[in-house]
Amino acid sequence: MIQRQCLVLIIISLLLPFSALAGDAKVYRGDQTLFEDTVWDGEILIDGILTVPADTTLEIRPGSRIRFTRFDSNGDGIGEHEIFSQGTIRVLGTEAEPVLFTSAESNPRPGDWGAINMMVSEEENLLEFCNVEYGYRGFHAHFAKARLLNSHFSKNVRGAQFQESQVFIEHCRFQDNLNGMQFRDSVVTLRNSVISGSHWGLRCVYSELEMTSCVIENNLVNGANIRDGKLNISGNRITGNRRGLYLQRSKGQVVGNDLSANSEHGIFLEDSDVEVADNRLVENGRAGVRWLNSEGRLARNQISENGVYALINDGSTNVVARNNWWGSADKKVIAAAVRDGSDRPAMGMVDSRYPLLKPLTQSRKVQ
Amino acid sequence: MTLSIYKINRTIVALCFTGFVLTSMVQAEDLVPEYSGAYAQDLVWENTVTMSGDVLILKGGSLTIRPGTQVNVLPAEGTKIDPEYLSSQTELLVRGKLEILGTEDAPVRFVLIERNDLEEIAWSGITLDSAAQSRIQHTELERADIAIRVVASSPEIKSNKITRCRYGIVMQQQSHPKILDNLLSDGEGGIFCWKGSNPFLSGNTIQDHDEEAIFVDIDSRPWLDRNFVSGNAIGLALYPRDLPLGAVSVTGNIENIRFLGRQGEGVVE
Repeated sequence: MIQRQCLVLIIISLLLPFSALAGDAKVYRGDQTLFEDTVWDGEILIDGILTVPADTTLEIRPGSRIRFTRFDSNGDGIGEHEIFSQGTIRVLGTEAEPVLFTSAESNPRPGDWGAINMMVSEEENLLEFCNVEYGYRGFHAHFAKARLLNSHFSKNVRGAQFQESQVFIEHCRFQDNLNGMQFRDSVVTLRNSVISGSHWGLRCVYSELEMTSCVIENNLVNGANIRDGKLNISGNRITGNRRGLYLQRSKGQVVGNDLSANSEHGIFLEDSDVEVADNRLVENGRAGVRWLNSEGRLARNQISENGVYALINDGSTNVVARNNWWGSADKKVIAAAVRDGSDRPAMGMVDSRYPLLKPLTQSRKVQ
Repeated sequence: MTLSIYKINRTIVALCFTGFVLTSMVQAEDLVPEYSGAYAQDLVWENTVTMSGDVLILKGGSLTIRPGTQVNVLPAEGTKIDPEYLSSQTELLVRGKLEILGTEDAPVRFVLIERNDLEEIAWSGITLDSAAQSRIQHTELERADIAIRVVASSPEIKSNKITRCRYGIVMQQQSHPKILDNLLSDGEGGIFCWKGSNPFLSGNTIQDHDEEAIFVDIDSRPWLDRNFVSGNAIGLALYPRDLPLGAVSVTGNIENIRFLGRQGEGVVE
């Protein structure tokens, strides 16, 4: 009798689907794989690692809530439960019914769960109108293509991180993450988005970045740090960070931005080749511009009311800085506002001739 | 014959002794504990230890470094991408509690493991990020990007020697540490008070920096008491306003006091 009951129990357990219903939530426990296209609509609990294999699509309907349990096998404070996709993920939230990715813990903290993780996911993934919180990396991708639209990433260890990927981001907010966004070897378009309240705001290497109409503010290290990159940065407000925009070995344009009220420098160029034009560089703590062994041009900017200097040339190259507004057109005032080889003999000179008589008015309104 | 045997015996004994000493040295070297990664427990470092990578003390954990400890720091070689760290350079990041308990006779020393390609600024330094009540005393720090960065924390930083760092001590985000009797020298900048930080600075010597010795932004309000500031490009950079400046000795700098916001025109004679 007992043997027969055991046999029945075993058969029942084998017949149970890999996912089970617990209360109102669909639950995935342990390591599981979606073997066919799947639609989620409602409550989902992930208590393990859920894989979306190649040639499979996971679609998530408006208003769904995906919660992850905390599982930290090595005690490093980082949760390991996550979604791992080599297929396609389409998160279809709406403004009225966003999709939520969050911790299942009653006392949630950043890093409770791993990531929405995409690896070699070359069909276009979409995250639209979703809120992603308490992850290690909210969005994470390698060799992937994705669009992030109208979404909010907060209280993650890192809001987004990706490598070797093509990512389009518009109307997203990365707020109060430990670090905002980092990417490498990627092609990125970032528009009308906010990165604030992090240590690092945006940090990238070996990438192409087009960034327009974004707000990057109140980050404790750098607002945006671009190393070995190609960039086109226009119409952004980058304020209240330690350094505003820090460019290392990068090329491109920085045009029409508000780079103000940063603790150190509005813009710091190091070994770069950049056109810096039509920007507002005011009220930065140490200097509006720090220029170190860089090429390029500094023109039609407003560089006034900064802390110690308007412009510091700390390198051996000369700086062409004609046609800027320095807060005054008086030669002596401008000379005092600029530190160059005339103050420190080993440094290059600054050509600040032909100053503007007043700041140019241009639209820097960030939508 | 007897003499020869005596000599041979003596040689054997000497060789054995040398071998023993060498083996002990190798073993001793092998026994230097290495630390890298995230720690949630209470750690104690003593004698000689090596930071072979980043060290993160998690909230609830602690790191105590006993007097006389030498901390070897292995500089990072690449660009790290792990989100839990803040710098691409080797760093000690504390969100728990840090107690560095050097003494005058037995300071704690952070020593870089040299390489040929090492740049002058070769590691990140110590960061306290929303840390529990901590103290750093009688510690020698050199060639860090920021020797001690204090974010939303209020430790006691006392009697340390900070040399050849890009920045000495940086405070951000309503940090209110006690900074007492330290020597900061030969860096780019000395002490930076940013974003609503109100430290008590007393008895510090801040000298020979390429830029500002003490920088105070518009939101911060340090108490400056009997500090000696000399030989820097700018002694004290601050916005023109009332600050408690108890007998600050700011002399012998290229500019002693610079009022901020005036782009070169705020030099106070």
